[in-house]
Amino acid sequence: MSWQVMLSSMGEGMLRTLAIFFLTILFSMPLGMVVTLLRRSKIRIISGITKVYIAIMRGTPLMLQLLAWYFGPYYLFGASIRGYRFAAIIIGFTMNYAAYFAEIYRGGIESIPAGQYEAAEVLGYNKVQTFFKIILPQVMKTIMPSVTNEIITLVKDTSLAFALAYNEMFAIAKQIAASQTSFTPYIVAGVFYFVMNYVVAFVMERIEKSMDYYS
Amino acid sequence: MKKLISVILAAMMVVLLAACGGGSKGGDTQYLFLEEEMGTESYAIGFKKGNEELAKTVTGAVYALVKDGTYAKIGEKYPDIKDYLSLKAEDINDADIPAKGSGDPNFTFKHGFDLDYPPYSYLKDDGSVGGFDVELAQAVCEYMGWKYESVPFNWEAKDMELNAGSCDCIWSGFTKEGREDKYTWGCTYSNNVQGILVASDSGITTLADLAGKTVGVQIDTSAAEMLEDSKKELADTFGELKTYETYTVAFNDLKAGAIDAIAIDMTAGAYLISNEAK
Repeated sequence: MSWQVMLSSMGEGMLRTLAIFFLTILFSMPLGMVVTLLRRSKIRIISGITKVYIAIMRGTPLMLQLLAWYFGPYYLFGASIRGYRFAAIIIGFTMNYAAYFAEIYRGGIESIPAGQYEAAEVLGYNKVQTFFKIILPQVMKTIMPSVTNEIITLVKDTSLAFALAYNEMFAIAKQIAASQTSFTPYIVAGVFYFVMNYVVAFVMERIEKSMDYYS
Repeated sequence: MKKLISVILAAMMVVLLAACGGGSKGGDTQYLFLEEEMGTESYAIGFKKGNEELAKTVTGAVYALVKDGTYAKIGEKYPDIKDYLSLKAEDINDADIPAKGSGDPNFTFKHGFDLDYPPYSYLKDDGSVGGFDVELAQAVCEYMGWKYESVPFNWEAKDMELNAGSCDCIWSGFTKEGREDKYTWGCTYSNNVQGILVASDSGITTLADLAGKTVGVQIDTSAAEMLEDSKKELADTFGELKTYETYTVAFNDLKAGAIDAIAIDMTAGAYLISNEAK
Protein backbone atom coordinates (compact mmCIF):
# COMPACT_ATOMS: atom_id res chain seq x y z
CA MET A 1 0.00 0.00 0.00
CA SER A 2 1.43 3.35 -0.97
CA TRP A 3 1.84 6.21 1.48
CA GLN A 4 -0.64 8.18 -0.50
CA VAL A 5 -3.38 5.59 -0.12
CA MET A 6 -2.58 5.06 3.55
CA LEU A 7 -2.64 8.75 4.36
CA SER A 8 -5.81 9.42 2.40
CA SER A 9 -7.63 6.47 4.02
CA MET A 10 -6.51 7.60 7.43
CA GLY A 11 -7.28 11.20 6.59
CA GLU A 12 -10.82 10.13 5.78
CA GLY A 13 -10.93 8.37 9.14
CA MET A 14 -9.63 11.52 10.76
CA LEU A 15 -12.63 13.46 9.44
CA ARG A 16 -14.91 10.91 11.10
CA THR A 17 -12.86 11.23 14.29
CA LEU A 18 -13.23 15.01 14.15
CA ALA A 19 -16.97 14.64 13.64
CA ILE A 20 -17.25 12.73 16.92
CA PHE A 21 -14.94 15.19 18.62
CA PHE A 22 -16.73 18.39 17.67
CA LEU A 23 -20.26 17.09 18.13
CA THR A 24 -19.36 15.70 21.54
CA ILE A 25 -17.84 19.01 22.65
CA LEU A 26 -20.79 20.92 21.24
CA PHE A 27 -23.38 18.89 23.17
CA SER A 28 -21.56 17.76 26.28
CA MET A 29 -20.18 21.08 27.49
CA PRO A 30 -23.58 22.81 27.80
CA LEU A 31 -25.19 19.58 29.02
CA GLY A 32 -22.50 19.38 31.68
CA MET A 33 -23.60 22.77 32.97
CA VAL A 34 -27.18 21.57 33.24
CA VAL A 35 -26.02 18.46 35.07
CA THR A 36 -24.01 20.59 37.50
CA LEU A 37 -27.05 22.73 38.28
CA LEU A 38 -29.16 19.61 38.83
CA ARG A 39 -26.43 18.08 40.95
CA ARG A 40 -26.37 21.21 43.11
CA SER A 41 -30.13 21.36 43.35
CA LYS A 42 -31.57 21.78 46.83
CA ILE A 43 -34.25 19.25 46.00
CA ARG A 44 -32.91 15.94 47.28
CA ILE A 45 -34.46 13.69 44.62
CA ILE A 46 -33.04 15.69 41.76
CA SER A 47 -29.53 15.89 43.15
CA GLY A 48 -29.74 12.22 44.14
CA ILE A 49 -30.72 11.06 40.65
CA THR A 50 -28.00 13.23 39.14
CA LYS A 51 -25.47 11.70 41.51
CA VAL A 52 -26.44 8.21 40.37
CA TYR A 53 -26.17 9.28 36.73
CA ILE A 54 -22.68 10.67 37.29
CA ALA A 55 -21.66 7.57 39.22
CA ILE A 56 -22.75 5.30 36.36
CA MET A 57 -21.16 7.42 33.66
CA ARG A 58 -17.86 7.62 35.48
CA GLY A 59 -17.95 4.16 36.98
CA THR A 60 -18.40 2.05 33.86
CA PRO A 61 -16.18 1.81 30.77
CA LEU A 62 -17.14 4.13 27.94
CA MET A 63 -16.89 1.25 25.48
CA LEU A 64 -19.58 -0.61 27.39
CA GLN A 65 -21.76 2.49 27.43
CA LEU A 66 -21.43 2.84 23.66
CA LEU A 67 -22.52 -0.76 23.13
CA ALA A 68 -25.45 -0.20 25.50
CA TRP A 69 -26.59 2.97 23.71
CA TYR A 70 -26.44 1.33 20.31
CA PHE A 71 -27.80 -2.14 21.00
CA GLY A 72 -29.99 -1.16 23.94
CA PRO A 73 -33.02 -0.06 21.91
CA TYR A 74 -33.05 -3.38 20.07
CA TYR A 75 -32.60 -5.61 23.09
CA LEU A 76 -35.00 -3.65 25.31
CA PHE A 77 -37.75 -2.73 22.85
CA GLY A 78 -36.98 -4.72 19.73
CA ALA A 79 -36.60 -1.44 17.86
CA SER A 80 -34.86 -1.36 14.50
CA ILE A 81 -31.42 0.21 14.87
CA ARG A 82 -30.66 0.65 11.21
CA GLY A 83 -28.95 3.95 10.53
CA TYR A 84 -28.73 4.73 14.24
CA ARG A 85 -25.01 3.93 14.63
CA PHE A 86 -23.60 7.44 14.44
CA ALA A 87 -26.30 8.92 16.64
CA ALA A 88 -25.62 6.26 19.26
CA ILE A 89 -21.94 7.14 19.26
CA ILE A 90 -22.65 10.84 19.75
CA ILE A 91 -25.20 10.15 22.48
CA GLY A 92 -22.79 7.81 24.24
CA PHE A 93 -19.88 10.23 24.15
CA THR A 94 -22.02 13.23 25.07
CA MET A 95 -23.66 11.58 28.07
CA ASN A 96 -20.32 10.33 29.34
CA TYR A 97 -18.41 13.55 28.88
CA ALA A 98 -21.25 15.66 30.28
CA ALA A 99 -20.80 13.81 33.57
CA TYR A 100 -17.10 14.62 33.70
CA PHE A 101 -17.61 18.23 32.66
CA ALA A 102 -20.34 18.59 35.27
CA GLU A 103 -17.97 17.60 38.02
CA ILE A 104 -15.29 19.95 36.72
CA TYR A 105 -17.81 22.81 36.66
CA ARG A 106 -18.99 21.92 40.15
CA GLY A 107 -15.44 21.99 41.46
CA GLY A 108 -15.03 25.42 39.92
CA ILE A 109 -18.31 26.78 41.26
CA GLU A 110 -17.71 25.48 44.77
CA SER A 111 -14.22 26.95 44.85
CA ILE A 112 -15.71 30.47 44.80
CA PRO A 113 -15.70 31.81 48.35
CA ALA A 114 -19.02 32.68 49.96
CA GLY A 115 -17.82 36.29 50.30
CA GLN A 116 -18.32 36.75 46.55
CA TYR A 117 -22.01 35.87 46.84
CA GLU A 118 -22.42 38.10 49.86
CA ALA A 119 -20.71 41.02 48.14
CA ALA A 120 -22.92 40.57 45.07
CA GLU A 121 -26.00 40.55 47.26
CA VAL A 122 -24.92 43.74 48.99
CA LEU A 123 -24.42 45.36 45.61
CA GLY A 124 -27.98 44.47 44.67
CA TYR A 125 -27.35 41.66 42.17
CA ASN A 126 -30.08 39.07 41.97
CA LYS A 127 -29.27 35.34 41.89
CA VAL A 128 -29.12 34.99 38.11
CA GLN A 129 -27.01 38.10 37.72
CA THR A 130 -24.67 36.96 40.48
CA PHE A 131 -24.16 33.60 38.77
CA PHE A 132 -23.55 34.91 35.26
CA LYS A 133 -21.77 38.17 36.01
CA ILE A 134 -19.75 37.38 39.14
CA ILE A 135 -19.38 33.65 39.63
CA LEU A 136 -19.18 32.19 36.11
CA PRO A 137 -16.33 34.39 34.84
CA GLN A 138 -14.21 33.32 37.78
CA VAL A 139 -15.24 29.69 37.42
CA MET A 140 -14.32 29.65 33.72
CA LYS A 141 -10.88 30.84 34.57
CA THR A 142 -10.17 28.25 37.25
CA ILE A 143 -11.56 25.28 35.38
CA MET A 144 -9.77 25.88 32.08
CA PRO A 145 -6.80 23.58 32.76
CA SER A 146 -9.11 20.72 33.78
CA VAL A 147 -11.32 21.29 30.76
CA THR A 148 -8.27 21.19 28.49
CA ASN A 149 -7.30 17.87 30.08
CA GLU A 150 -10.74 16.47 29.43
CA ILE A 151 -10.84 17.64 25.83
CA ILE A 152 -7.44 16.11 25.12
CA THR A 153 -8.66 12.84 26.61
CA LEU A 154 -11.69 13.04 24.35
CA VAL A 155 -9.49 13.26 21.25
CA LYS A 156 -7.94 9.96 22.19
CA ASP A 157 -11.16 8.38 23.43
CA THR A 158 -12.76 8.79 20.00
CA SER A 159 -10.93 5.60 19.06
CA LEU A 160 -13.44 3.70 21.25
CA ALA A 161 -16.04 4.24 18.54
CA PHE A 162 -14.52 1.21 16.82
CA ALA A 163 -16.57 -0.88 19.27
CA LEU A 164 -19.61 0.15 17.22
CA ALA A 165 -17.77 -0.52 13.96
CA TYR A 166 -17.48 3.16 13.19
CA ASN A 167 -14.55 3.52 10.85
CA GLU A 168 -12.69 6.30 12.62
CA MET A 169 -8.99 6.82 12.22
CA PHE A 170 -7.72 4.25 14.68
CA ALA A 171 -10.00 1.53 13.31
CA ILE A 172 -8.58 2.21 9.86
CA ALA A 173 -5.04 2.14 11.26
CA LYS A 174 -5.80 -1.29 12.70
CA GLN A 175 -7.19 -2.54 9.41
CA ILE A 176 -4.20 -1.31 7.45
CA ALA A 177 -1.85 -2.78 10.04
CA ALA A 178 -3.58 -6.15 9.59
CA SER A 179 -3.51 -6.07 5.81
CA GLN A 180 0.09 -4.84 5.58
CA THR A 181 1.42 -6.70 8.64
CA SER A 182 3.13 -3.49 9.65
CA PHE A 183 3.25 -1.13 12.59
CA THR A 184 3.60 1.96 10.44
CA PRO A 185 -0.14 2.81 10.49
CA TYR A 186 -0.08 2.88 14.29
CA ILE A 187 2.82 5.33 14.25
CA VAL A 188 0.99 7.46 11.69
CA ALA A 189 -2.11 7.35 13.93
CA GLY A 190 0.04 8.45 16.84
CA VAL A 191 1.28 11.45 14.86
CA PHE A 192 -2.29 12.33 13.84
CA TYR A 193 -3.46 12.27 17.45
CA PHE A 194 -0.44 14.22 18.61
CA VAL A 195 -0.98 16.96 16.05
CA MET A 196 -4.68 17.18 16.91
CA ASN A 197 -3.92 17.47 20.59
CA TYR A 198 -1.21 20.00 19.94
CA VAL A 199 -3.76 22.16 18.19
CA VAL A 200 -6.25 21.64 21.03
CA ALA A 201 -3.66 22.59 23.63
CA PHE A 202 -2.65 25.65 21.61
CA VAL A 203 -6.22 26.88 21.19
CA MET A 204 -7.02 26.27 24.83
CA GLU A 205 -3.95 28.19 25.90
CA ARG A 206 -5.07 31.12 23.79
CA ILE A 207 -8.51 30.99 25.36
CA GLU A 208 -6.97 30.83 28.82
CA LYS A 209 -4.82 33.86 28.05
CA SER A 210 -7.82 35.80 26.83
CA MET A 211 -9.43 35.14 30.20
CA ASP A 212 -6.79 36.66 32.42
CA TYR A 213 -9.09 39.56 33.16
CA TYR A 214 -8.33 39.66 36.86
CA SER A 215 -4.56 39.67 36.80
CA MET B 1 20.00 21.12 34.20
CA LYS B 2 16.48 20.98 32.81
CA LYS B 3 17.83 21.36 29.31
CA LEU B 4 20.35 18.61 29.82
CA ILE B 5 17.66 16.22 31.03
CA SER B 6 15.40 16.97 28.09
CA VAL B 7 18.25 16.47 25.64
CA ILE B 8 19.04 13.10 27.20
CA LEU B 9 15.37 12.08 27.09
CA ALA B 10 15.09 13.12 23.46
CA ALA B 11 18.21 11.15 22.59
CA MET B 12 16.81 8.08 24.34
CA MET B 13 13.60 8.33 22.35
CA VAL B 14 15.49 8.54 19.08
CA VAL B 15 17.58 5.49 19.98
CA LEU B 16 14.47 3.56 20.99
CA LEU B 17 12.66 4.43 17.80
CA ALA B 18 15.69 3.50 15.70
CA ALA B 19 15.91 0.21 17.56
CA CYS B 20 12.26 -0.47 16.74
CA GLY B 21 12.85 0.26 13.08
CA GLY B 22 15.82 -2.04 12.73
CA GLY B 23 14.31 -4.74 14.91
CA SER B 24 14.03 -7.53 12.36
CA LYS B 25 16.76 -10.12 12.49
CA GLY B 26 19.57 -10.61 9.98
CA GLY B 27 17.22 -10.83 7.02
CA ASP B 28 17.64 -14.49 6.09
CA THR B 29 15.32 -15.74 8.85
CA GLN B 30 12.25 -17.21 7.26
CA TYR B 31 8.92 -18.12 8.71
CA LEU B 32 7.26 -21.43 8.03
CA PHE B 33 4.61 -23.82 9.24
CA LEU B 34 5.37 -27.02 11.09
CA GLU B 35 4.47 -29.99 8.91
CA GLU B 36 2.41 -31.35 11.76
CA GLU B 37 -0.91 -29.53 11.79
CA MET B 38 -3.07 -28.79 14.79
CA GLY B 39 -6.35 -29.64 13.18
CA THR B 40 -8.77 -28.98 10.34
CA GLU B 41 -12.00 -27.04 10.50
CA SER B 42 -14.06 -25.26 7.90
CA TYR B 43 -15.25 -21.79 7.11
CA ALA B 44 -18.93 -21.29 6.45
CA ILE B 45 -21.52 -18.54 6.22
CA GLY B 46 -23.36 -17.92 9.47
CA PHE B 47 -26.94 -16.60 9.50
CA LYS B 48 -29.19 -15.60 12.35
CA LYS B 49 -30.70 -18.67 13.97
CA GLY B 50 -33.87 -19.59 12.13
CA ASN B 51 -33.14 -17.69 8.94
CA GLU B 52 -33.26 -20.91 6.89
CA GLU B 53 -34.60 -19.34 3.74
CA LEU B 54 -31.81 -16.81 3.25
CA ALA B 55 -29.19 -19.41 4.20
CA LYS B 56 -30.58 -21.76 1.56
CA THR B 57 -30.72 -19.10 -1.15
CA VAL B 58 -27.21 -17.81 -0.53
CA THR B 59 -25.87 -21.35 -0.43
CA GLY B 60 -27.58 -22.09 -3.74
CA ALA B 61 -26.12 -18.95 -5.28
CA VAL B 62 -22.63 -19.91 -4.08
CA TYR B 63 -23.15 -23.33 -5.69
CA ALA B 64 -24.07 -21.61 -8.94
CA LEU B 65 -20.84 -19.61 -8.76
CA VAL B 66 -18.88 -22.82 -8.21
CA LYS B 67 -20.52 -24.31 -11.32
CA ASP B 68 -19.84 -21.34 -13.54
CA GLY B 69 -16.23 -21.01 -12.37
CA THR B 70 -16.53 -17.63 -10.63
CA TYR B 71 -15.64 -19.21 -7.29
CA ALA B 72 -12.36 -20.61 -8.64
CA LYS B 73 -11.65 -17.39 -10.50
CA ILE B 74 -11.93 -15.32 -7.33
CA GLY B 75 -9.77 -17.92 -5.58
CA GLU B 76 -7.03 -17.39 -8.19
CA LYS B 77 -6.70 -13.82 -6.99
CA TYR B 78 -5.84 -15.00 -3.48
CA PRO B 79 -2.99 -17.50 -3.89
CA ASP B 80 -2.67 -17.97 -0.12
CA ILE B 81 -6.09 -19.56 0.14
CA LYS B 82 -6.87 -21.12 -3.22
CA ASP B 83 -5.60 -24.57 -2.16
CA TYR B 84 -8.02 -24.61 0.74
CA LEU B 85 -11.20 -23.90 -1.20
CA SER B 86 -13.40 -26.90 -0.62
CA LEU B 87 -16.40 -26.69 -2.96
CA LYS B 88 -16.23 -28.84 -6.09
CA ALA B 89 -18.52 -28.51 -9.08
CA GLU B 90 -19.05 -32.29 -9.37
CA ASP B 91 -20.50 -32.54 -5.84
CA ILE B 92 -23.23 -30.03 -6.51
CA ASN B 93 -26.80 -30.98 -7.20
CA ASP B 94 -28.37 -28.70 -9.80
CA ALA B 95 -31.67 -28.83 -7.94
CA ASP B 96 -30.18 -26.71 -5.14
CA ILE B 97 -29.34 -23.83 -7.43
CA PRO B 98 -31.81 -20.94 -7.71
CA ALA B 99 -32.36 -19.38 -11.13
CA LYS B 100 -30.08 -16.51 -12.05
CA GLY B 101 -31.61 -13.14 -11.23
CA SER B 102 -34.48 -14.74 -9.32
CA GLY B 103 -33.92 -12.63 -6.19
CA ASP B 104 -36.03 -9.68 -5.12
CA PRO B 105 -34.33 -6.66 -6.77
CA ASN B 106 -35.32 -4.48 -3.81
CA PHE B 107 -33.56 -6.70 -1.30
CA THR B 108 -30.29 -5.38 0.11
CA PHE B 109 -27.95 -8.12 1.27
CA LYS B 110 -26.07 -6.79 4.30
CA HIS B 111 -22.76 -8.60 4.45
CA GLY B 112 -21.27 -8.50 7.96
CA PHE B 113 -17.53 -9.04 8.24
CA ASP B 114 -14.35 -8.14 10.06
CA LEU B 115 -12.00 -5.81 8.21
CA ASP B 116 -9.00 -7.12 10.13
CA TYR B 117 -8.99 -10.56 8.55
CA PRO B 118 -6.87 -10.78 5.41
CA PRO B 119 -7.13 -12.35 2.93
CA TYR B 120 -10.84 -13.06 3.47
CA SER B 121 -11.95 -9.54 4.25
CA TYR B 122 -9.58 -6.62 4.57
CA LEU B 123 -8.51 -3.23 3.33
CA LYS B 124 -6.70 -3.74 0.04
CA ASP B 125 -3.59 -1.93 -1.19
CA ASP B 126 -5.68 0.66 -2.99
CA GLY B 127 -7.62 1.42 0.19
CA SER B 128 -10.81 -0.32 -0.91
CA VAL B 129 -12.63 -3.08 0.94
CA GLY B 130 -11.92 -6.49 -0.52
CA GLY B 131 -10.94 -10.08 0.11
CA PHE B 132 -12.17 -13.49 -0.97
CA ASP B 133 -15.33 -13.43 1.14
CA VAL B 134 -16.24 -9.90 0.09
CA GLU B 135 -15.84 -10.68 -3.61
CA LEU B 136 -17.78 -13.93 -3.30
CA ALA B 137 -20.61 -12.19 -1.45
CA GLN B 138 -20.71 -9.50 -4.11
CA ALA B 139 -20.84 -12.16 -6.80
CA VAL B 140 -23.74 -13.82 -4.96
CA CYS B 141 -25.66 -10.55 -4.98
CA GLU B 142 -24.93 -10.04 -8.63
CA TYR B 143 -26.16 -13.55 -9.41
CA MET B 144 -29.37 -13.12 -7.42
CA GLY B 145 -29.99 -9.57 -8.55
CA TRP B 146 -29.75 -8.19 -5.01
CA LYS B 147 -28.16 -4.98 -3.82
CA TYR B 148 -24.96 -5.45 -1.84
CA GLU B 149 -24.14 -3.55 1.32
CA SER B 150 -20.95 -4.06 3.29
CA VAL B 151 -21.25 -3.93 7.07
CA PRO B 152 -17.76 -4.10 8.56
CA PHE B 153 -18.12 -4.72 12.27
CA ASN B 154 -16.06 -5.17 15.37
CA TRP B 155 -15.47 -8.92 15.68
CA GLU B 156 -16.31 -9.08 19.41
CA ALA B 157 -19.71 -7.48 18.70
CA LYS B 158 -20.60 -9.78 15.79
CA ASP B 159 -23.43 -11.59 17.55
CA MET B 160 -25.03 -8.36 18.70
CA GLU B 161 -24.81 -6.95 15.17
CA LEU B 162 -26.36 -10.08 13.68
CA ASN B 163 -29.16 -10.40 16.24
CA ALA B 164 -30.01 -6.71 16.05
CA GLY B 165 -30.32 -7.02 12.28
CA SER B 166 -27.61 -4.58 11.25
CA CYS B 167 -26.26 -7.41 9.07
CA ASP B 168 -27.81 -10.49 7.47
CA CYS B 169 -24.89 -12.84 7.94
CA ILE B 170 -21.41 -13.28 9.38
CA TRP B 171 -19.19 -14.14 6.46
CA SER B 172 -15.57 -13.44 7.20
CA GLY B 173 -13.41 -16.53 7.63
CA PHE B 174 -16.03 -17.74 10.10
CA THR B 175 -15.35 -21.20 11.55
CA LYS B 176 -18.36 -23.47 11.81
CA GLU B 177 -16.99 -26.11 14.20
CA GLY B 178 -17.95 -25.50 17.80
CA ARG B 179 -20.67 -23.04 16.75
CA GLU B 180 -23.03 -25.47 14.99
CA ASP B 181 -25.99 -24.71 17.24
CA LYS B 182 -25.52 -20.98 17.58
CA TYR B 183 -26.33 -20.05 13.99
CA THR B 184 -28.21 -21.25 10.96
CA TRP B 185 -25.45 -22.21 8.59
CA GLY B 186 -25.04 -21.74 4.88
CA CYS B 187 -22.54 -23.83 2.93
CA THR B 188 -18.97 -24.42 4.01
CA TYR B 189 -16.73 -23.10 1.29
CA SER B 190 -13.16 -23.31 2.55
CA ASN B 191 -11.10 -25.64 4.68
CA ASN B 192 -9.40 -24.04 7.58
CA VAL B 193 -6.29 -25.81 8.78
CA GLN B 194 -4.72 -24.61 11.99
CA GLY B 195 -0.97 -24.74 12.09
CA ILE B 196 2.00 -23.54 14.05
CA LEU B 197 4.11 -20.77 12.56
CA VAL B 198 7.76 -20.62 13.63
CA ALA B 199 11.03 -19.01 12.56
CA SER B 200 13.13 -21.30 10.38
CA ASP B 201 16.09 -21.05 12.76
CA SER B 202 14.09 -21.77 15.92
CA GLY B 203 14.88 -25.48 16.05
CA ILE B 204 11.19 -26.28 16.49
CA THR B 205 10.09 -28.96 14.03
CA THR B 206 7.27 -30.88 15.72
CA LEU B 207 4.39 -30.08 18.01
CA ALA B 208 6.26 -31.88 20.80
CA ASP B 209 9.11 -29.36 20.48
CA LEU B 210 6.70 -26.68 21.67
CA ALA B 211 6.93 -27.97 25.24
CA GLY B 212 7.95 -25.12 27.51
CA LYS B 213 7.85 -22.57 24.67
CA THR B 214 5.85 -19.38 24.46
CA VAL B 215 3.10 -19.52 21.84
CA GLY B 216 1.02 -16.57 20.61
CA VAL B 217 -2.56 -16.61 19.37
CA GLN B 218 -5.19 -14.00 18.46
CA ILE B 219 -8.12 -13.62 20.81
CA ASP B 220 -11.44 -15.18 19.81
CA THR B 221 -10.08 -17.03 16.75
CA SER B 222 -10.67 -20.69 15.99
CA ALA B 223 -7.01 -21.44 16.75
CA ALA B 224 -7.45 -19.88 20.18
CA GLU B 225 -10.65 -21.83 20.79
CA MET B 226 -9.00 -25.05 19.65
CA LEU B 227 -6.19 -24.60 22.18
CA GLU B 228 -8.69 -24.05 24.95
CA ASP B 229 -10.81 -26.98 23.95
CA SER B 230 -9.90 -29.96 21.76
CA LYS B 231 -6.16 -29.26 21.86
CA LYS B 232 -6.03 -28.36 25.53
CA GLU B 233 -3.45 -31.10 26.13
CA LEU B 234 -1.12 -29.55 23.61
CA ALA B 235 -1.65 -26.10 25.08
CA ASP B 236 -0.81 -27.45 28.52
CA THR B 237 2.68 -28.42 27.36
CA PHE B 238 3.43 -24.82 26.32
CA GLY B 239 5.46 -22.69 28.67
CA GLU B 240 2.98 -19.89 28.09
CA LEU B 241 0.06 -19.21 25.79
CA LYS B 242 -0.08 -15.51 25.01
CA THR B 243 -3.28 -13.98 23.68
CA TYR B 244 -3.02 -11.01 21.33
CA GLU B 245 -5.56 -8.53 20.05
CA THR B 246 -4.34 -9.06 16.47
CA TYR B 247 -1.97 -11.41 14.69
CA THR B 248 -0.03 -8.39 13.43
CA VAL B 249 1.27 -7.76 16.94
CA ALA B 250 1.88 -11.46 17.58
CA PHE B 251 3.86 -11.74 14.35
CA ASN B 252 6.00 -8.78 15.32
CA ASP B 253 6.67 -10.43 18.65
CA LEU B 254 7.72 -13.57 16.80
CA LYS B 255 10.05 -11.59 14.56
CA ALA B 256 11.53 -9.85 17.58
CA GLY B 257 12.09 -13.21 19.27
CA ALA B 258 9.80 -12.45 22.18
CA ILE B 259 7.70 -15.55 21.49
CA ASP B 260 8.65 -18.85 19.87
CA ALA B 261 5.63 -19.74 17.77
CA ILE B 262 2.18 -18.62 16.64
CA ALA B 263 -0.90 -20.83 16.46
CA ILE B 264 -2.93 -19.59 13.50
CA ASP B 265 -5.27 -20.50 10.65
CA MET B 266 -2.86 -21.45 7.89
CA THR B 267 -4.50 -19.23 5.30
CA ALA B 268 -4.14 -16.18 7.52
CA GLY B 269 -0.61 -17.29 8.43
CA ALA B 270 0.32 -17.74 4.78
CA TYR B 271 -0.78 -14.17 4.21
CA LEU B 272 1.53 -12.97 7.01
CA ILE B 273 4.45 -14.91 5.50
CA SER B 274 3.92 -13.76 1.94
CA ASN B 275 3.51 -10.17 3.08
CA GLU B 276 6.76 -10.44 5.03
CA ALA B 277 8.56 -11.68 1.91
CA LYS B 278 7.50 -8.59 -0.05
